[in-house]
Amino acid sequence: MNSILVLILGAVVIYVGYFIYARRIDQNVIQPDAKKATPAKMFMDGVDFTPASRNVLFGYQFKSIAALGPITGPIIAVQWGWFPALLWIILGTFFIGWVQDYGAMMMGVRREGDSMGALSYKLISPRARNILMIFLYFYLLLIMGSFGNAVGKTLMINPKVPLGMIAVVLMGILAGQMTYKWKQDIIFTTAVTVALTFLGIWLSTTAPVAKFFNGLYGLPESPVWFLGNTQAQVIGTLLVIVFCYLGSVMPIWSFAQPINYISFWIVSLGVLGGVLGMLIWRPGMGDFPAFTKFTTASGPLWPMLFVTIACGAISGWHSLVSSSGTARQLEAETDAMPVGGGAMFMEMFFAIVAFLTATAAFGGFQGYQDAGGAGKALAVFSGGLANFLSHIGIPKDFGTAYGSVFLTIMALTIMQLVIRFMRVASAELVGEKFPAMKNVHVGTIVALILTLVFVWVIPWLTIWSAFGAANQLMAGLALMLIALWAMSEGRKHTWALYPAAFMIVTTLAALLYLAYDNFFVKLPKAATAQAGIAAVLVGVIALVLVIAAAILVYDGWKALRKPQEKKAPAKA
Amino acid sequence: MEPGSIRNRLQRIAHAAREMLYGMTTYEWAQSARRERAEVESLFVLVSFGDLVGLPILPPYYTLRLLPYVVPAINRWKRSLLRERDWTDLSDLIGGID
Repeated sequence: MNSILVLILGAVVIYVGYFIYARRIDQNVIQPDAKKATPAKMFMDGVDFTPASRNVLFGYQFKSIAALGPITGPIIAVQWGWFPALLWIILGTFFIGWVQDYGAMMMGVRREGDSMGALSYKLISPRARNILMIFLYFYLLLIMGSFGNAVGKTLMINPKVPLGMIAVVLMGILAGQMTYKWKQDIIFTTAVTVALTFLGIWLSTTAPVAKFFNGLYGLPESPVWFLGNTQAQVIGTLLVIVFCYLGSVMPIWSFAQPINYISFWIVSLGVLGGVLGMLIWRPGMGDFPAFTKFTTASGPLWPMLFVTIACGAISGWHSLVSSSGTARQLEAETDAMPVGGGAMFMEMFFAIVAFLTATAAFGGFQGYQDAGGAGKALAVFSGGLANFLSHIGIPKDFGTAYGSVFLTIMALTIMQLVIRFMRVASAELVGEKFPAMKNVHVGTIVALILTLVFVWVIPWLTIWSAFGAANQLMAGLALMLIALWAMSEGRKHTWALYPAAFMIVTTLAALLYLAYDNFFVKLPKAATAQAGIAAVLVGVIALVLVIAAAILVYDGWKALRKPQEKKAPAKA
Repeated sequence: MEPGSIRNRLQRIAHAAREMLYGMTTYEWAQSARRERAEVESLFVLVSFGDLVGLPILPPYYTLRLLPYVVPAINRWKRSLLRERDWTDLSDLIGGID
């Protein structure tokens, strides 16, 4: 299939999904009232509850939900063939993705800006909130493990990447200084720092720099150093850890925030250039098979495909951002659809572009495999992006380095904030029992050690599947909460309940499969201590998540039955 | 269609695009600056008017002299201070996670 046809198909799905299905649910079922006061107006505190225009919030929501997930998931999932991957991106967004993002947002607006924790406490059961916290902590650990693995063990070991990444960091710090300390104009600051970042990326492709990092990494044959990881992988991971440490302990205005800002431009220009190159080139998928086989390295198509592509089809994290973040800033109820639904459909388009970098940019299946395949999804993306960019005159060598830096920085900007979050969360959770955990450095170091264990021990595809399953399970629970809320308001709720049932059953099956695969297939075959520890770790996490989800589903089912029990006539 | 309306429409599109770009880029900076200011303000009100939530700190003489300056912020300060929070409230701090 030609890439342009896929893009057109995506545009048609967005039109039908957003303007017909989603709008019908919005207007006929939820019935938003533009005149009703929103939490942003009722509880305005100038911080969390602050009204903002729908356009600003659309940008904010899209930036908050679109990161590495919609890129990585589709590239791994095409190992089952392009057809199932594309079908899940489209149908997942059409029937489930926007339902969750929009539903969580409306639920937050109608329930006075309550967060997901508070909503699960009120709508499901008191213990539901604590279970949600357990989910959240494991989810964050799995994010750190999977992103750390992808960056530290795949992208950073390319000697043409580290200098580009250092350039982004230095320019981010400079942007923070220029804005906050030297009070420079933001356009001037952006122009200078983005231009210098590109210069740094170009320098990273030059021979002397590559030679230096080749020496540091012990390339071309990097020796194995620790737990089966090569010298390049250990150094690459440690660079990531140092970055995350600084991101967690330094003031947010001087490090995390300006680096995020610079990386926004690097990423946006890359995506824009890639799409432009694709439109000029108009490649086809060549011999890329529509369907390969039912069971691949990631497991059987059902349920594993549905957790491999999380963002881009549906992601549980969006429900947290939609309810706690955006719902408290909506000016009017009627803005929820363009902001929540619109941003999700836009993310689907982003996922389709990533899908095409794997299927169309290499001319066929062999090209995809040669570029790294599912096992090196991020390398596939940077190679595919470089191929697209070459059609607008950008040299492939620079394009590959650019694509790698683009992905590296995309992951790192998230990781530094997750570590910051974990530090705060662990201080609150165990700070009373272990006062040392309240110390900024101790909390950060503990979170980073846990991350290192995950990165060095667990293989990439396994940890990505576990991360996807945790994420999608959270989505299923959020959808259950939305159905409960719709029911509590006396509205139709099947539009959220059926997707919830599908997501919960599928993700529980995925977690059970992961537990079985790790305990009964991988553990007996484990040749090294590292492989054994990885199998036990993933198996235990999968089981903990299954038990937590089973309790939540049981409580949710009881909450769902409550209104029906009330309506039923009392037995004599 | 009149040329004026086309121009208006283009202006509206440009305005919306500018706002979206702001939402994707520096809106986060503005939010963070507001949050920092609110934290300082919250601490100041707590020190000077802590008795409103059961923490008598400053003698009433100084409190009364400060009162006119603090009145506009008292309602939102109480609402913000007494609001129940959990981890999921922090999720907007790590936007763009997946």
